[in-house]
Amino acid sequence: MSSANTSQVDAVLEADVGIVGAGPGGMAAAARLAAAGVRVVVLDEGQRCGGQIYRQLPHGMHNDGVIPESPSHDHGHDLIKAFEGHAKRGGSIELVRGATVWDAQPGRLWFEQDGASRLLRCGHIVLAPGAYDRNIPFPGWTLPGVMTAGALQVMVRGFGVVPGKRALVVGSGPLLLPTVTSLLGAGVKVVGALEASSRWRALRAGPAVAFHAARRREAMWYLKQLWRSRVKLQWGWTVFACEGDGRVQRAIIGKVDAQGRPRKGTERTIECDVVGAGFGLVPSIEIGMRLGAKTHVLPARGGHCLVVDGEQRTAVAKVFAVGETCGIGGAEVASAEGDLAAAAILGELHGTTVDAKIVSRARSERRAADSMLGAFAPLPGLNELARPDTIVCRCEDITRLRAQEAAALHGGSMRAIKIGCRAGMGPCQARICGPSLQAMATGVNACGMDVPVVQVPLKPVRSETILMAPE
Amino acid sequence: MSGRIAGLGDRELVVFEWDGQEVNAWQGDTIAMALWAQDQISVRNSSSYGQPRGVLCNMGICYDCLVIVDGVTLRSCTTVVKPGMKVGRGGKP
Repeated sequence: MSSANTSQVDAVLEADVGIVGAGPGGMAAAARLAAAGVRVVVLDEGQRCGGQIYRQLPHGMHNDGVIPESPSHDHGHDLIKAFEGHAKRGGSIELVRGATVWDAQPGRLWFEQDGASRLLRCGHIVLAPGAYDRNIPFPGWTLPGVMTAGALQVMVRGFGVVPGKRALVVGSGPLLLPTVTSLLGAGVKVVGALEASSRWRALRAGPAVAFHAARRREAMWYLKQLWRSRVKLQWGWTVFACEGDGRVQRAIIGKVDAQGRPRKGTERTIECDVVGAGFGLVPSIEIGMRLGAKTHVLPARGGHCLVVDGEQRTAVAKVFAVGETCGIGGAEVASAEGDLAAAAILGELHGTTVDAKIVSRARSERRAADSMLGAFAPLPGLNELARPDTIVCRCEDITRLRAQEAAALHGGSMRAIKIGCRAGMGPCQARICGPSLQAMATGVNACGMDVPVVQVPLKPVRSETILMAPE
Repeated sequence: MSGRIAGLGDRELVVFEWDGQEVNAWQGDTIAMALWAQDQISVRNSSSYGQPRGVLCNMGICYDCLVIVDGVTLRSCTTVVKPGMKVGRGGKP
């Protein structure tokens, strides 16, 4: 592990292209650019390339079949190999680890790394910041041991740590399956796998999976794993509450209706020491918005996402966006779009045109993802799981009732709720509560929620980082 | 109960301090994961009610796992353990 010291690193880095995120989108873009001799610097908050979906264990550890890997991981290994090949000493890619981007302008990305305030100056920018889990507040969701499905994946696949003895997996969408298989690989007993969508609603994803060879192979692999492990997916069920003394010890589960509203009288109690909740993903759009990119709302893609043209350009010159920041689509979409953005940038640099095959691959991957994920768009009724005394804003310890009172007094806009009770004003900057806070506070289950407000710093950093920021 | 998944290989030990006690971590661990492997899953007290909090997102988004590292408030899920680090419970975020 590098022990970068503030005095030993250059405050300012220069590159032809700056990329935010070393997941599939960022890796694919970087590899194509590097192969053409373009100097690329990639900023990532993690310690190794791969992103969340292809997270690698720390150096020195290897997963040789201990934690089962679905067929799509072959694609991940190929991307990592190509990226790391160019990221070796003297190569065209420099990966900056543990970098938190806190401000951005065209051609400039400010970041904090290991306590140092640094700046990347670059020509083009490719945004591939990915996504994060959508959180639905429910009673007891703040207890240690209750976490996002993504958090469990990081624990198992990223660090080789056993999450607990008995795990409950809840939520909605295709990411529940890999969460279950990771837990099984870690030797954890999966005491329940609850999909909030009904079987019939989920069936709408069927054609999109059946007519896409890679997705079909992936689905079959997961079904086989589930069948072998005897873990049964329960459709139309979710978690109502978690309880325990200082940590989660049991969960109350129950049935939900077609809108996701809890059905009274269906409750059951399950003992567990870990709960992974994955209610889909939310695109990370903050850096793009700060740069001036336009956004639009696409419920099937997770809500607010960045608008791009047919070659991944945002409305801002020399700023491209790929993968989840343009709407949730998965790793195959991200890598295809990363490849396309890189080809388009090479086109701008060298005056060449983009190969039609690269364009059509990105389009068809996106189309397939859209038709599959439409079946798992957020269920508005799940916002009724939180009771009046349930904490909805974890940073500021604000209950649902206080948020409702603020909305009644100051108005139902996100801004009014924030001003009225500070919900959404803490260090997560409403990334956790934001997607459902407004709906819970106002009782209006509309998807057209206010566009998130983006402010600098884009993530909390030390005040010295801002004061000492290089120009 | 937590621990390490067998068969993934092991790494060098790194010793750091948690709440005044010496704790073994593996090289490359984040503070949050080193503590979790020792079954220490509560790392912070919440701002108003002082409720125990731990890992929520494990990827640097939620700031719910904040701890105090040598006097500085940092995310335990993104901060890699270094030998001799003194780590204490996070308070108000």
